[in-house]
Amino acid sequence: MLALTLVGVCGIPGIVTTLGAFVGLVASGSWPVALLASVVCLPIGVLTCVVASRTVASFSSRGRGRLGNVLGLLGFGVLVLAGPIVTGLLSVLGDRGGLDTDRVGALIAGLSWTPVGAVWAVPGDLADGELWVGLVKLGIAVATLAALWLLWRRNVVAASVSPKRRAVSGRSGRLGWIGLAPTGPTGAGWARSLSYWLGDPRYLRNLVIVAVLPVLLAFALGWQVQTPIFAFVVVLPALLLGLVPYADVSYDGSAFSTLLATGIRGRDDRAGRLLGALTAGAPLVVVVTVVTVGLSGQWLLLPAVLGCGLGALLAGLGICALSSAYLVIPVPASGDNVFKRVPGQSFWVGLALMGFTLMAGVLTAPALALAIAAVVTGAAVWSWLALVVGLLIGVGVAVAGVALGGRVFDRTGPVLLERVRATSGY
Amino acid sequence: MPHRAPDAAPALALRGLVKRFGAKLAVDGIDLAVPTGSFYGLVGPNGAGKTTTLSMATGLLRPDAGTASVHGVDVWSDPTAAKRMIGNLADGVRLFDRLTGEQLIAYTGRLFSLPRDEIVARTADLIDLMDLREAAGVAVADYSAGMTKKVALACALVHAPRLLVLDEPFESVDPVSAANIEDVLRSYTASGGTVIVSSHSMDLVQRMCDHVAIVSNGRVLVAGPVAEVRAGSSLQERFLELVGGRTHAEGPAWLRQS
Repeated sequence: MLALTLVGVCGIPGIVTTLGAFVGLVASGSWPVALLASVVCLPIGVLTCVVASRTVASFSSRGRGRLGNVLGLLGFGVLVLAGPIVTGLLSVLGDRGGLDTDRVGALIAGLSWTPVGAVWAVPGDLADGELWVGLVKLGIAVATLAALWLLWRRNVVAASVSPKRRAVSGRSGRLGWIGLAPTGPTGAGWARSLSYWLGDPRYLRNLVIVAVLPVLLAFALGWQVQTPIFAFVVVLPALLLGLVPYADVSYDGSAFSTLLATGIRGRDDRAGRLLGALTAGAPLVVVVTVVTVGLSGQWLLLPAVLGCGLGALLAGLGICALSSAYLVIPVPASGDNVFKRVPGQSFWVGLALMGFTLMAGVLTAPALALAIAAVVTGAAVWSWLALVVGLLIGVGVAVAGVALGGRVFDRTGPVLLERVRATSGY
Repeated sequence: MPHRAPDAAPALALRGLVKRFGAKLAVDGIDLAVPTGSFYGLVGPNGAGKTTTLSMATGLLRPDAGTASVHGVDVWSDPTAAKRMIGNLADGVRLFDRLTGEQLIAYTGRLFSLPRDEIVARTADLIDLMDLREAAGVAVADYSAGMTKKVALACALVHAPRLLVLDEPFESVDPVSAANIEDVLRSYTASGGTVIVSSHSMDLVQRMCDHVAIVSNGRVLVAGPVAEVRAGSSLQERFLELVGGRTHAEGPAWLRQS
């Protein structure tokens, strides 16, 4: 653990943290007492940062239970929202009597008593002659470091004494989606794909983003959401969600060989994957649409937004049914850290993805145009027309994607397997 | 699928298979005829081309030249029909390991369009056969290497294939399970099923197989009934004699203790 701490301090994040701390040292340069205190406090501060990061890491590497995944995703969500939450809080503060220095000062004074802020406040307090306050805060800082260290040690000990003692018994007879699926390759593919969409963080996080993005935008707009623009907030995430499986075979890894070995026909494989993604994505898009349109108060636009959102999702999935019969990209392996960077993302794949996004956008455009007509005229008929057109185009693209992609897949299946083996290395 | 009377075509026929990876010729013209109902061993040193050959034979890797057919059905012109007859246990590939053992077998059964109640019955049988009852509801990602091998074998068996292609089937499988699986495979071949097994274990091949082919550098050195190939000596001796590569037996001087 000492070694890991040292490595943490010497690593780039550690060095940056130390540099940041030194800026504080320079700032306190004109008060000798503060300077003296900083010599003690800044190393404690840096160490606390490093040990905290290790402690968090030791939690996340403890097994990969479902709960761990959910917590990880929640943390991810909070992190994404950190900016808006802070600005939101500040604006709330600002609403009550302006953003004056008193309030910020009070906020900082409060923070300086918490484990996060205590250590950084000690030099200042000592310079102000608040000897006891400074000592108490130093105590808080040392206790924080000690608590983090003990927590980390507990996890390390737990991991080394009983390394990932996984449950090797579980209730049998629970087939989940597989049990619900009708027999046949399409049903099997649907159930497998759906199980992964709802259980594998590599897919699941995209669903989280669809739910989170409207909240993000609402924050950005300062909750001024009673506008037609906000009613359409779901369309872009729905479009991006449809494009998630644009190289779906990559996520199978070498398990794709067990699928190919069954002699599955391309059409069935494509249809299974598309339906699985649709079963996971469509209800979410509908729910988010109803909520956001409801918040915007533009109920007239509900059919139009549904048409655009579902149409975009279907069009994206249809494009993916074809593109994933050609493309294999490097992705984190199943069970790996979702945020792991994988080498070998090529420029051309990025360009292709951009092309797919444009294509999906173009395919959504007719429904969107009708929806805009509904906004402008305020006539419900345009709204309903947008729903019909959006769904028709979406379903058409999906069916065409399955048919074309299926034919391509029948030819490229073994090539895909070779590429998956070469890029994923497992 | 019930096992029919032996037909004219061999269970697996490979003709002139060639595969080149860049500059390396991995498989250099392999011919092999695996008779129906035989228990066929494929042995050879590391890198001999066994796995590559089996991948081409089962429709997973397109050969540069040559053909493969299963009971007379060409694997590469009619893959769906050919693959229905094959049960494939590949070595060193992942499974869809977020599924539980039970889900994975049920999923594979559905891929082959077995009736749902039939899938339920077969899944239960296979789980008992592989001694996986306790772990049936656990995600395959949490299985040990041996348990993963067993559930992969269960998936290869669920559609009652006529030809089983097993790559290193007993690696890290415990002895009790290995013995049980051996029994099942024997009764399977006795009833007309065909097994082709690739392995490093000469003892296993000599004990279980009635036919054997020795492969080295992408070529078949010798193939036929085990008794013929052995020609009086043990399979191990015969293998070393054909493949070569033995160093002198004492090992380096510094390793000797006296």
